Amino acid sequence: MAANGLIPQKKEGGVLLKAEDISLSFGGVKALSNVSFEVHEHQVLAIIGPNGAGKSSMLNCINGFYHPQEGRITYKGVTRKQMKPHDAAAQGIARTFQNIALFKGMNTLDNIMTGRNLKMKRNFLLQALYLGPALKEELEHREFVENIIDFLEIEHIRKTPVGKLPYGLQKRVELGRALAAEPDMLLLDEPMAGMNLEEKQDMCRYILDVNDEFGTTIVLIEHDMGVVMDISDHVVVLDYGRKIADGPPEEVRTNQDVIDAYLGVSHD
Amino acid sequence: MAGQGAENAPGGGDTGESAAADTFPKLLVENARTRGDRPAMREKDYGIWQAWTWAQAQDWVRAFACGLAELGFGKGDTLAIVGDNRPQLYWSMVSAQVLGGTPVPMYQDSVAEEMQYVLEHAGARFAIVEDQEQVDKLLEIKERCPTLETLIYKDPRGLRHYGQPFLHSIDAVIEKGRAFDQANPGFFEKAVAEGKGPDLAIMLYTSGTTGRPKGVMLSFDNLIITARNTVEQDGLVETDEMLAYLPMAWVGDNIFSLAQSYVAGFCVSCPESSETVLTDMREVGPTYFFAPPRIFENILTTVMIRMEDAGAIKRAMFHFFMDVARRSGSRILDAKPVPFMDRLFYALGRVLVYGPLLNVLGFSRVRLAYTAGEAIGPDIFDFYRSLGMNVKQLYGSTEASVFITTQPDGQVKPDTVGTPTKGVEVRIAESGEVQFRSPGVFMAYYKNEETTRETKTEDGWVLTGDAGFFSDDGHLKIIDRAKDVGKLNHGTLFAPKYLENKLKFFPYIREAVTFGHQRDYVAAILCIDLEAVGNWAERQNLAYSGYTDLSGQPQVYELARECVEKVNADLASDPHLAGSQIRRFLMLHKELDADDGELTRTRKVRRPFVAEKYGDLIEALYSDQDSIVVEAKVTFEDGRTGNISADLKISDAKTFGEDAAPALKQAS
Repeated sequence: MAANGLIPQKKEGGVLLKAEDISLSFGGVKALSNVSFEVHEHQVLAIIGPNGAGKSSMLNCINGFYHPQEGRITYKGVTRKQMKPHDAAAQGIARTFQNIALFKGMNTLDNIMTGRNLKMKRNFLLQALYLGPALKEELEHREFVENIIDFLEIEHIRKTPVGKLPYGLQKRVELGRALAAEPDMLLLDEPMAGMNLEEKQDMCRYILDVNDEFGTTIVLIEHDMGVVMDISDHVVVLDYGRKIADGPPEEVRTNQDVIDAYLGVSHD
Repeated sequence: MAGQGAENAPGGGDTGESAAADTFPKLLVENARTRGDRPAMREKDYGIWQAWTWAQAQDWVRAFACGLAELGFGKGDTLAIVGDNRPQLYWSMVSAQVLGGTPVPMYQDSVAEEMQYVLEHAGARFAIVEDQEQVDKLLEIKERCPTLETLIYKDPRGLRHYGQPFLHSIDAVIEKGRAFDQANPGFFEKAVAEGKGPDLAIMLYTSGTTGRPKGVMLSFDNLIITARNTVEQDGLVETDEMLAYLPMAWVGDNIFSLAQSYVAGFCVSCPESSETVLTDMREVGPTYFFAPPRIFENILTTVMIRMEDAGAIKRAMFHFFMDVARRSGSRILDAKPVPFMDRLFYALGRVLVYGPLLNVLGFSRVRLAYTAGEAIGPDIFDFYRSLGMNVKQLYGSTEASVFITTQPDGQVKPDTVGTPTKGVEVRIAESGEVQFRSPGVFMAYYKNEETTRETKTEDGWVLTGDAGFFSDDGHLKIIDRAKDVGKLNHGTLFAPKYLENKLKFFPYIREAVTFGHQRDYVAAILCIDLEAVGNWAERQNLAYSGYTDLSGQPQVYELARECVEKVNADLASDPHLAGSQIRRFLMLHKELDADDGELTRTRKVRRPFVAEKYGDLIEALYSDQDSIVVEAKVTFEDGRTGNISADLKISDAKTFGEDAAPALKQAS
């Protein structure tokens, strides 16, 4: 796309999520200390950093899996108290995992359908009997899921058990399941780990398309610097649980602290 | 939309009433009137088969044609079409024809350079493409291709921010068209009425094994009269079903999915994507089917591999009933006498094996299937026919609007291509070249008078360049391309394609290239079929790391040698060809690939190119070396190039009969 000079002019919205002074420790281990940053609507934000920098912990805090001992997270203007991951999901935060967490024995279609779970209103009994309103509802959800299947170009594996699929495709199915929840904010934990070049290119295209077509805000963790610099609007760099840089990719790239963190400088 | 009369046209296939319709737009209007409620096209989208009736198709074409007119497309303009088989793309061809323009469908997997050549040569001002990928490709070409003015795309995904003023979505064009139609009542009817049978209908670029692609100009008469003749000959009716999955740029698809459908009124279905063709086929259940031999072969290979993994009882049952089928299946299909017991077993087999198998493959309802393009292996051909599927061969070319000869029912043999199709005359020139004359004979090659004169005589005969002869029962037999047929130094006829086909009939050998013209003996370069040999290796507990490694294994050489020697034994029984037995061969370290220029886009070997590229290997085959080191450049799918190097062994093969003696002399 870049070759044609067609990179879209994006309209970034207001602050969608604000993390203030987040500190998280497991016993004596300080995973995060006083991390603050903002995520704007319609943004692609990357969190980068060396191994053990606290990237996944940060993501887990955002989606309510970990509860930081200090600091506040404000999402859509509401400062949250203790919350559970399913509350986060209900508020429109969906995520994928570093290690794929799909139902291996179920096919692609059913896996993505599970992403619609929170949207289903009919009770368990009606769903089991597959009657009247439940049937109608199921059809609506199926239509939505088929849109996602079309979007991610996985028609050919619609009925294939995901356990049989290659890694790159499983990652794509997982993205599909997250999208099925119609999230406002999508958290991607290393969406491109273990992929070859072509699969990475595809995944980048899907992420940008999701951001563009659905207006979804994206927070991602990624190690491939080329990918990060290409697709993100904003980069937050963590090192040993502290934020060492925060800004647009060009700026972060030249930041001396970041270079030190990646090349390794002795910490006194 | 489908507000036409509710009654369906009684009894299909009646083409008499529409004899006046001599263009596709006229046929479309005719079909919308007489069978407006019947499905014209289907496409699987969002997991569901969506259907459009003839009336809806007409409505779409009307709007799109008007939209094109609004954008400035008119008589004599060219519309390039790039994409998978999609109803909208087929209709866009007819829309261009409404306005007196010429559609030029293109191979969508062509690299930018090939596309640029065709676009420039055809002088395309307009192009319609499927999605962002193709838009990007054409935008890249556009800078170097000044004639190209307007781009229309089907799928808006990812294109929202492309602000170019010359870029339009199909929906936007349709909308413009509806407004234009309102403002200019009678425009569409007048435009349709202006088209005449002898007008240029379409230009198809043939890939050709040599040189630049040539634009074959076909008129409405070429396509429609040929379609009428064959629809009548094969009894195609409006209730038939066809799956359109072969490239739109190929003449066959234009005949099967467009011309014959418009004439007979049957419904054409488009698969969801190229990867889902087999699933979609099972769901559609086509009654009329075309596939090149390669596809039949791939399906058979898959079946055999899966049967190897089946349980013992199933496997025994399969082999028992396949034996019955091989003995009597084809004879039953041809209504020839068969012993009572076999008939009984065959009936049982139909319930237990053949029926379910055909069903799994999606062939249950196939009434008529054609194959063409290459010779089909007798084993493969017999397999399908013995299951009760009426597969027949035809011989055709783009220059003939496909049909030259077809096999009549009941007279089907694996090694001939049948008798002349209705309306076609065929003669054999003194040189042995096959020539034909028919209503389907092309108008000319676009902007290439010289080649046109070389190919087509004043009185309408076309020189095919194929060598062949009529057998005693009047069936045509094709040996090879006339210019490829050569002679060995000791005078024996050398027909490379004939040998290569015999080699390729073995499932383990995917490609073969033979050499022998003006040489002392025949030598071959072989490429393994990775799937078949890989599976074989697995069963032999043979470890391998990839294509190059596998194809160089001594056991694989042994496997290939057996194949070569079987071919030699077979050749020894034919007095004309006994001298052209294969003495030496090697296994190539990579697959022949169209991206490397070794094959055409229709997967035919480009012999001169291969001979030049692998000159060293060929010299080694004619020396006493027993191995050679090669380095080859490969082009990856994303356009990057890389190098593969390998040490290739050269193996000798046993020859039979009289030829065996000189072989020994040669070796010493």
